[in-house]
Order: sequence, then structure tokens, then C-alpha cells
Amino acid sequence: MSSTHSTKHQPKSEHGTTESYVIGFLFSIVFTIIPYLLVVNRSVSGSALLATILGFAVLQMIIQILFFLHLGRGPKPLYNVVFFISTVSIILVVIGGSLFIMKHLHYNMSPTEVTKNRAEKEAIYQVGGRKTGACQAIGANHKVTIGDGIVNPLHTRASLCDTLTFISQDNTLHEITFGPHPRHDTYAGEDELPLRKGRGNTITLNQLGTYQFHDHLHPELSGEFAVSP
Amino acid sequence: MVAANKEMSHEAAANDRVMFGFWVYLMTDLLMFTVLFAVYAVLHGNTAGGPSGRELFSLPLALTETLILLTSSLTCGIGMIAARRGSKKQVLVWFSITFVLGLAFFGLEMKEFAEFIHEGHTLQSSAFLSSFFTLVGTHGLHIISGLLWIVITLAFVLKRGLNPHMIRKLGLLSLYWHFLDIVWIFIFTVVYLMAFV
Repeated sequence: MSSTHSTKHQPKSEHGTTESYVIGFLFSIVFTIIPYLLVVNRSVSGSALLATILGFAVLQMIIQILFFLHLGRGPKPLYNVVFFISTVSIILVVIGGSLFIMKHLHYNMSPTEVTKNRAEKEAIYQVGGRKTGACQAIGANHKVTIGDGIVNPLHTRASLCDTLTFISQDNTLHEITFGPHPRHDTYAGEDELPLRKGRGNTITLNQLGTYQFHDHLHPELSGEFAVSP
Repeated sequence: MVAANKEMSHEAAANDRVMFGFWVYLMTDLLMFTVLFAVYAVLHGNTAGGPSGRELFSLPLALTETLILLTSSLTCGIGMIAARRGSKKQVLVWFSITFVLGLAFFGLEMKEFAEFIHEGHTLQSSAFLSSFFTLVGTHGLHIISGLLWIVITLAFVLKRGLNPHMIRKLGLLSLYWHFLDIVWIFIFTVVYLMAFV
């Protein structure tokens, strides 16, 4: 393209010169040091820091691709650029997709919750000397009846390892879940207790503290229970 | 004159084909690393009661490794310029420097692995460590292959001199080396830096 430089030793433009390599190198050093210092000094934090260092990694990659790999400077048509772009799209799908799916899987079925639930149901209170959080001996039973728009009693006091039974007294389906509406918290490994007509569902109170519960289908039906040692 | 031109374009076409084929290999290799990165991203929090990355990793060490690898990319590039100029001696010098830097990088990586394993944090300790060792170890394996490749190529350069075929081989080698550099940048960011965010 430029006819002014026609020296014998001038490298072809698609390969780069010593200067271009040195410039690329300096850029890459700078783009390494900046995120490093940001992380070490904690001048930014949380998701802002995360976004910044990922941004620098991408900048770094672009620098490497332009100055070292010389992508896009070869003979046309640029099949390798097309191939690179399609690879990058696959990368985004694989990484983004995995994180998205696994996050939701984790949210809906976190391994600790599943293990806890299983331990409680099978009354496995210890494994290899380690407590699972399940109760060894079951205490008293408390009842909460739900029906015709009334929760009775609204407050239940219980001791650790007592049981609590929700009983439906009307013809509608109730779904007992924990926390204030619209949250959908988990208690004792249960995140949803369906109550059919005239039926009950029992949980073991193996977590200390005061908890709210509500009917997810009829949020006005709510109450709380307190578990003390 | 026409014949010579034809010869040239034939040679150039063969070069392009080889370069493209190698580029396809690099991209598929990148997809393999992608899967390992995805596994690490998903599993890095599952420490099974063991230490997390924040407790294990040393940032200064990771930075040193990064700077060494970046420098080796530069020396590799300068070696490539020397190859296109036809300077055999400089090719040997610059690629040897690249080799030494690569070896230093690999040594640091292995030193880190050895320390973890010595402290009882092995591949079997947790999902986090399994994915860590697999991702970083696969990169290390690529580095070792690259080092072997440098030795073999330099032996050929020494024996047969710098013919167009040799220059093409050096070109592929440097492409591979720069590629490993890019993968490392993401390991440095995703594995080491992000453990401290």
C-alpha cells in the first residue's frame, strides 16, 4: 500500500514490526498491572471491580490479537476472522449458558438443602461423626390449621426438634412456603408444602429462630412460628 | 518471470492453507479451554469445607507468571521478525530466550502445584480444586508441548538453516505461543484475580 518504504528488509505489513511488537507488549503489561493493582488495593469493589478486570482481560485479548496474532491482516477473504468470530459466539453461549443454567439449578435445588431434607426425612442425624442438622429425638407436635381464611394459631412457640403440622380444613389447595410473601424461602429443606383438602403436612423444626410462613396461593393466610432451644 | 510469480503464488497459497488449518486447530483448542473455564466458573465455590482460592492463591506469584509469559510472547515475536529477515543466529537467540522464559513460567506453575499438593490440597480435595488443577494443568501441558516444539524446531533450524518451510514452521510455533498467552490472560483474570474480588 505505502510505496514510500520499499527497503529490502521491511517486513510485510501482515507480520508486524519490532515497534508494533514492543507497543503491543507495553499495552499488555499496562493492561495486566492495572487490574492487578485494582484488586490488591481494593479501590473498587464488588461487581464494579469484576466488570473492570474482565474488561481489561478483553482489552488485553484484543491487543494480543492485533499486535501478536495479526488477525485480520492476512490475505482476503478473511476466513480465519470469520472462524474466530464464530468461535467467540460459541464461547459466549457455552460460558453464559452454563452459568445461567447452573445458577438456576443451584437456586431451585441447592445441594445443601437437598442433603438437609434427605437427612431429616431419613432421620440421619450424623454421618461419620458429623452432625447433619437432623433431629435425633423428635419432641412434641404442634398443629396449625388453615381454612376458611383463618390461620389458627397465628403464632406457635416450639422447642428444637418438635414437629409442626399444617392441616387444611377447606376445599382449596394451599401451598405453604416460608418467609413473607412474595418470598419463597426454605425451612428444614422444604420450600413448598402442598396441602390438599383435609390433609396435613408435617415438618421437623430443626432450625432455631422465628420464621414466617404463608400460603403462596392465598398470601393473606400467614403466620409465624418461633423455635427455641 | 511469469513462472517465478506462479511459483511464488503457489507457495503463498500453500502457506495460507497451512495457516488456516492451524488456526482451525487453535480455535478448537480454545473451545476445549472454554469448557474447562465454564466448569471452573460453575464449581469454583464448591470447596467442600476446604480452602477457597482466596486462601490458596498468591497474587504476586500469578503476576510474575503473567509478566514472564507476556515477555516470552514479545521475544517470540522478535524472533519471528528475525526469521523473516533470514537471520538464523537471531532466530536461535530469541527463540532460546522464549524457551527459557517458558520454562521459568512452567517451573513456577509446578512449584505452585507442588505446594498445594504438599499442603494436602489435591485434585481430589474438592470440586473447586479438581476444576482448578484441570484448567491450569491443561494450560501447563500446552506450555510443555510448546517448549518441546521450540527445541525440535530450533534443532531443525540449526541443521537445515532458514528455508521458507522453516519460516512457516516458526510462524505456526509463534502463533501457538501467542495463543497460550491469551488463554493465560483469562486464567490470570478468572482464576487468580477474581478469587480476590
